[in-house]
Amino acid sequence: MSAETWQQVVFWIFALLITGAGVLVVTTRNVIHAALWLVGALMGAAAMYVLLFAEFVAWVQVLVYVGAIVVLMLFGLMLTRAPIGSAEFDNNQRPLAALCAAAVFVVTSVILIGAFEGQEINFARTAGTSTESIGTAIFSSYVWPFEVVSILLLAALVGAVVIARRD
Amino acid sequence: MDLAQAIAQPSVDWHALSPDIVLAAAACMVLIADLFLPEESKWLAMPLSAAGILGTLAAVVSLAGEHRTTLGGAVEIDTFALVFKGLFCVIGLIVLAMSFGYFRSGRYYQGEYYFLMLCSLLGGVVISSARELVTLFIALELISIPAIIMTALRKADVKSNEAALKFFLFSVLSTAVMLYGMSLVYGITGSTKLDEIRSSIASSADEPLVVLSVIFVVIGFAFKISAVPFHFWAPDTYEGAPSPVAAFLSTASKIGGFVGLLVLMFRAFPEVADTWRPAFAVLATLTMTVGNLIALRQQHIIRLLAYSGIAQSGYVLVTLALIDPSRPEANAQALESAIVYLVIYGIMDLGAFAAAVAFARKTGTYFLSDYAGLWRRSPVLATLMAGFLLSLAGTPPMAGAWAKLFVFAAAINSEVYWLAAVMGVNAVIAAWYYLAVVKRMFLDSPEVDEPIEVPYLLRATMGVAAFALLAVFIYPAFITSLADRSLL
Amino acid sequence: MPVSFFLVLSALLFSIGIYGVLARQHAVLVLLSIELMLNAVNINLVAFSAMLQEAGLGGQVFALFVIAVAAAEVGVGLAIVILIYRNRQSVDLDELDLMKW
Repeated sequence: MSAETWQQVVFWIFALLITGAGVLVVTTRNVIHAALWLVGALMGAAAMYVLLFAEFVAWVQVLVYVGAIVVLMLFGLMLTRAPIGSAEFDNNQRPLAALCAAAVFVVTSVILIGAFEGQEINFARTAGTSTESIGTAIFSSYVWPFEVVSILLLAALVGAVVIARRD
Repeated sequence: MDLAQAIAQPSVDWHALSPDIVLAAAACMVLIADLFLPEESKWLAMPLSAAGILGTLAAVVSLAGEHRTTLGGAVEIDTFALVFKGLFCVIGLIVLAMSFGYFRSGRYYQGEYYFLMLCSLLGGVVISSARELVTLFIALELISIPAIIMTALRKADVKSNEAALKFFLFSVLSTAVMLYGMSLVYGITGSTKLDEIRSSIASSADEPLVVLSVIFVVIGFAFKISAVPFHFWAPDTYEGAPSPVAAFLSTASKIGGFVGLLVLMFRAFPEVADTWRPAFAVLATLTMTVGNLIALRQQHIIRLLAYSGIAQSGYVLVTLALIDPSRPEANAQALESAIVYLVIYGIMDLGAFAAAVAFARKTGTYFLSDYAGLWRRSPVLATLMAGFLLSLAGTPPMAGAWAKLFVFAAAINSEVYWLAAVMGVNAVIAAWYYLAVVKRMFLDSPEVDEPIEVPYLLRATMGVAAFALLAVFIYPAFITSLADRSLL
Repeated sequence: MPVSFFLVLSALLFSIGIYGVLARQHAVLVLLSIELMLNAVNINLVAFSAMLQEAGLGGQVFALFVIAVAAAEVGVGLAIVILIYRNRQSVDLDELDLMKW
């Protein structure tokens, strides 16, 4: 099989993983399971980034998103000693919600398919974007948001401690 | 490049960035100082923060009249940026004055509160000069996230907790929707710089996709500026939050959202204005009308101000429905009227909140029925409150009258008569509930006669704000001349 | 490979997230759904970045910023959830009924 075909196969495998895990995140009746299914969706997304030559983003996704954010969520759930499974996690607007989501999906994807028809991602390209070029971009064109986001993280850190600590 | 050369010819225009840097440094100073202050002198964080904001204001003034871009066009200093940076500084000073007594007596983490407030304010200062999508998005988040924490600072109060949770979920949701739109904009144009987006969106774009992406971005912003039908979080959040924080949310946070929206719509997307202009007309109509109608039956001053603030957002949205780059004059007038409205709104809304805070500090109540006969209990407070409410209602002799008139004139000039008519009807409805409060304060008799002492700092701040509104009414050129030069 | 494969996948993930936001009433579950939406954004950004080839570095950098902000948001959100749980023993959104409009 050609490289192109292999890439298609990999895409479909992980697309199914992401979709399946995503659906389970929003339907399962157990909070811990939902967080774990989110890990599945996030890992699938990381695989997509690798497929798209964005290795650095893929690693950040695994380390920060899966490693930090989801672990934080699980810790948070454990700390609250909240009931982790209940049928009452869903409200009674599920058909309406499904209708809204389906409408958004149909409209968005029809427009997207029409607009980007014929636009190909060229997998034959030898070199992907290097981590070095991302570093250069962050510290040249994007240095200002980078500095601002550091203040944002500091504020979030201080704030989370203030709110969560016992008085 | 050797060091001497780097110092002589820096690649970064530090002067252009100085307001943002001074404020960031002040925030960090407050955080560190708080570490070493003993419990009984934690309040010193407030004068320290005020000094930091004054320093920022000085940096803003030092840039007056300049036009510079730096960091590859991500930051652009022009009169528009400076006017809003200055406005955020003034809002910060007024909110500090309101917070001082409240947080000192409540002992709600004073040092951290002032740090978070400065951070949130920094978001506003950064967004004023941001001309690039990533910076815009980060600055918006820098406004919201500290504001969420400030909302939760009354930790033992369940209402404050819930207000924070509601605010948090809506804020994160709006960010996600806005980002989805921004990612599509990036896909269409291949750039995050607003000027490049502007030039490539008109030529290369496929129309439905442009409309879709702009709609996602606008929905994201509509949550931030609490436009109907995305306003549900606002009144509950304002009511549950500590009241100085509610004042901050209703002004700094909302104006921050509007600055982002103005920059995007006037700078990045004007060439495709025909596709999205009707959406703003609908949004403006809904926001004005629903905000005012619900405000009519509010009995709680903070909720009244929240709904009236929603309606006020509607008047600013009118200007966005007038954008038309093919008619430069009308377009410029729309932007000017939006700037004038936001500046005046910021001051008068804060004034009304400050009066409510001053009243509640002595009486402990926020219900409108308790405002009966305020004139006999505290003539100063009643007069100031009446001044701010008249300004919000848009009646002379306060600056709010000009704010409404300019937007109205812009709508007439752009020949969108039906929107001007909707605005006129709404101004009448709004005048009803504002004047009802004024009537209650001056004509009804009080249930208790106990006089109300207004803290000195609050009284001075409200006095200056009311005087400024009066002065702008008499001499509007002061503010319109600034707005004239603030073209994007 | 057509870029629209990735874009439709992203739209699907975004819609699943919208369903979760509308249908769930546990604060953490709503937050998880919003994380799905943010991932849809990132797939879009990275796919566009690959489509634009060398000119498309901005998309990847944008995605990194989105991840950083998501981390900050989750930290703050969980702090609030812990606080509420300590005071109320529940994080059910429909029980947050002290304030009705």
